[in-house]
Amino acid sequence: MSISVAERPKVPVDIGNAFIQLATEWKSKSRYLSNTAQMALMRPYQRIIGMGPAVVPFILAELECEPNQWFWALEAITGENPVPAESAGNVREMARAWIEWGQSSGVYPQ
Amino acid sequence: MIGPDFPRLTATNHRITSLATTDYNCIAWATGDTTFWWQPGVHWPIPADASAVGIDSLVNALSAIEYELCNDGSIEPGFEKVALYGISSQLFYTHAARQLRNGKWTSKMGGAEDIEHDDPNDVSGGLYGNIVHFMRRVIKTESP
Repeated sequence: MSISVAERPKVPVDIGNAFIQLATEWKSKSRYLSNTAQMALMRPYQRIIGMGPAVVPFILAELECEPNQWFWALEAITGENPVPAESAGNVREMARAWIEWGQSSGVYPQ
Repeated sequence: MIGPDFPRLTATNHRITSLATTDYNCIAWATGDTTFWWQPGVHWPIPADASAVGIDSLVNALSAIEYELCNDGSIEPGFEKVALYGISSQLFYTHAARQLRNGKWTSKMGGAEDIEHDDPNDVSGGLYGNIVHFMRRVIKTESP
């Protein structure tokens, strides 16, 4: 079954506002969860991943403000994993590694 | 916290014991760690694929750090116990709680606060599903 162009979900014009809305919903729904896979399969998180590379700067800004389990999404979107092995699981160090990756790759402002 | 997600929590059977933080999760807290967010494929005591997120994966991980399955959550001198939670219709482990020396239990509620609760079932019946296993290990050092 194919989906015509007209039937495809529209990409939000304002990525930033869409991200904030979805991130707020995800944080509320996942607040008491500990299993990252369960958190990442929630609909708002999947919709954020579906927004593609354009949403990465917004995720990095969110990470800088409030470290959280955004690493699954970043890895899924970018295909990268800049987190050193010794930092894996340390949320603040993982956030820092991703922010530095964003800055060095020009995705996120210095 | 009291509400449909935790239908057995009441104002009198639990107490918030920390500020909210995303630095560590319930699995870390159950083992006495407040530094890492434990997750298969990321930070886990044994090599594991990131997709190994079922209750068996959690049992295997805790077995690797000297826990063993046990029958119940009763106090046994010389042992510390954890309760593992899951939802039968889903693939995931959902939660772990740790028994305190006084017989009460402590849970890190995802990225929210730690709580002390009177009974391991106080956090079951909703978001976390039900207790699937109890495990125990010999007490060597005091957990936080």
